[in-house]
Amino acid sequence: MTDHPTNGLDDVVHQRVRLGILAIAHQARQVEFGFLRTTLQLTAGNLGQHLTVLEKAELIQIEKGYEGKRPRTWVTLTAAGRAALRVEIAHLKQLIQEVEQGEAAPAADR
Amino acid sequence: MTHESAPQADGPRELLAAVRDLTRQVHVAQRGTWFPLLVLAVVTLVAIPVYRYAPYLDLFGTCRSRQGERVCMEPSPTQLGYWTVALVLAYVAIAGFYVKQSRRRGVGTPIRPYVVVGVALAALMAAVSIWLTYHPLVPVPADPFSVDPVEIEVGPAAWLVNGLASPIAVIALALLVLAWVERNRALLAYTLVYLAIVLVQGSQVIHSTSRWYFLPYLLVPAALLLLGSAAFALFKPSTEVPAR
Repeated sequence: MTDHPTNGLDDVVHQRVRLGILAIAHQARQVEFGFLRTTLQLTAGNLGQHLTVLEKAELIQIEKGYEGKRPRTWVTLTAAGRAALRVEIAHLKQLIQEVEQGEAAPAADR
Repeated sequence: MTHESAPQADGPRELLAAVRDLTRQVHVAQRGTWFPLLVLAVVTLVAIPVYRYAPYLDLFGTCRSRQGERVCMEPSPTQLGYWTVALVLAYVAIAGFYVKQSRRRGVGTPIRPYVVVGVALAALMAAVSIWLTYHPLVPVPADPFSVDPVEIEVGPAAWLVNGLASPIAVIALALLVLAWVERNRALLAYTLVYLAIVLVQGSQVIHSTSRWYFLPYLLVPAALLLLGSAAFALFKPSTEVPAR
């Protein structure tokens, strides 16, 4: 087992839609289902499945309620979600750095 | 909203670029800059009749009377009271606006730091003003009737403390926090220009016997705030959330 950054990637987080959900929830503190659906350009069903995965992993909290007569679903990042996002971003940056170093080395050898 | 949104590939560069784009979209949706500027402009405009018509209450005993003449060396406590209460109410209204906007747009705004700093600065302004009344940085002449206050030497430290204790500058300092909360570079640039103008203007002494001599001190910042509010309203994002 090496300490290559790909080993640190969490399959739950290292998925484009779920990473997007975590990034939005991190910036917004609390974000509504409709905003996520519009911003990520997903169907309600698809978004719902990703939210369920994140909720089961305890990375987000989902709160359902009403505002007037409109049903509202609010998503909040948990402390574990914040940590997972931070780790994922760090791994992505490390990956990019290693790829760039790998690309630069053969060029220097030429 | 049709931006890059969710990344279309799972490569690290694409994922990071998408996270940055989503972050930017959230920041745009969180902004409501026009409202605080409008509220603060209204507060500044309402100060005009307060300055002109509110009686001078000599709460701190700083006035001297002689042969029908009365000289007061400190700003009116009525004005200080007005600014303290008005600014606190303004920040409460601004907090309410952002909470309502968050619900409407479906995305929260961490407005608390701005409101807390704004209220704290308003309280600090009141405390510093009262402290300055008893510990003036500008030397008080023994005979206030014989000295034109305009001719008193004012050092840079006194100018800075007096300037930062002024409500107009306090508004600008809190706006710097709002620029940070909204990650809004346009607001940061606007606030720095506003702060520079009001600090320079505040250091200018108006020689006038008119009872409206204070007007430029209030009209210029109010006009700047109104213009800023209009400009930010024109470019405000349209990010209403559709029903689920």
